Amino acid sequence: MKTLRLLRRRRALLNCAPISHGNLTDRSMRAAVSRADGSDEFVNQQNFDRALAELVRHVPIPPESAEWFSEKDAVPVPKWTLRKIVFNPAVLAISIALLVIAGVFAFQLVGRLNDFPGSATARKLLTVAGSTRSVMLDPVNAEAGTLSDLFFMKHGLEHYDVPDEFADFQTIGCRVFDDDESQRVAQIWVAEKRMQFFLFPAERDSKTGAVLAFPGWRYVHQEGWVGAVTEHNGVCFMAVVRGREKDLAPYLSEAKE
Amino acid sequence: MLDRRQNLPQLYRFCFLMLGDSRKAQEVFNTTLREAAVRAAQGELPKEPFWLFREARWRCLEASKTDLQPEALEIEEHDITPQAASQIKQLEAAQLAIWISAAPDPQRTALALFYLNEFDYLEILDIAELKLSTLSRCLSQGRRQLQAWLDAKHSGAPKV
Repeated sequence: MKTLRLLRRRRALLNCAPISHGNLTDRSMRAAVSRADGSDEFVNQQNFDRALAELVRHVPIPPESAEWFSEKDAVPVPKWTLRKIVFNPAVLAISIALLVIAGVFAFQLVGRLNDFPGSATARKLLTVAGSTRSVMLDPVNAEAGTLSDLFFMKHGLEHYDVPDEFADFQTIGCRVFDDDESQRVAQIWVAEKRMQFFLFPAERDSKTGAVLAFPGWRYVHQEGWVGAVTEHNGVCFMAVVRGREKDLAPYLSEAKE
Repeated sequence: MLDRRQNLPQLYRFCFLMLGDSRKAQEVFNTTLREAAVRAAQGELPKEPFWLFREARWRCLEASKTDLQPEALEIEEHDITPQAASQIKQLEAAQLAIWISAAPDPQRTALALFYLNEFDYLEILDIAELKLSTLSRCLSQGRRQLQAWLDAKHSGAPKV
């Protein structure tokens, strides 16, 4: 039954087969023609159709009617000019939306360009630095470099060392506290430019537990505060000062020399 | 440039095949385009493809309503022969147009649209609002009847 229906449809398609093979755009028509191609009946039909189409092609157009052809504007095809496209409400809305998305993306990208492992914690500690008063710290008058022993002996914090660049600075006070992720953070206040130091555990890979190290010093900014961060032995050290990068840069370049 | 869907020379030829008379074809063709120009000026041009051909078709059918109608006769049908192409070469376009215009609709529309060699079968189905089986029957019968007519012309014997 199905075969009969298929054969009938194929026959129907062949009766409507295009005169030029170049017009075989339809898949089912292509299939029907390829099956029938070469059969006498189909060849006769095609020759017949081609001869008639040729005859029709030579139907002369009276000059009165031919005048219409030059007047292209008589039946204008709506043209999409650039201005029309740009001011199309849909295009306009999409363009604005894309611009906003691109802006947000660029902003995020620029922000991420300066990111490093531990930058999120460093930013949080910049906020802490902004809200800390000197009375909140235990008074300690010593060289910053010597506090490593204090952190180890009193709080069991290993490798909480102040880098050589800042080791000679005289301290005013220090404290150890837990941040919101229960990480032990050491905070030191020094006399020099009312600078503060923070020591906190470096970020680790969540799968392997390995320290995510990064070379040299990296800057972070938050609400008018700037911090220079470096990592050593799985602990990050951050020197913080109210101001801009150029306020911290001399201390770091001195160290490089 | 006008797109293929609004090919104006082909539109005229379509009118000519539908009406079999150059003067009437011009009338329908001009009226259709004038109407289109007015609608274009009002910004009311239809969006669907081939609308000019659809419009022209209805005008042709309308125009031929008042004409003398051919008698409903059993028309002879012959198988298409290999000599058909050479027989057709001896025909004039006007003779073919008269023959097609005398056919009942939808066969007339189907033959006129098909032999313009402008549209594929799906487009013809769309313009003439036909089913595939109807279009197939119209074309197949049309060929066989035209072959019978060609044979009669060629042999010189008067046939109905």
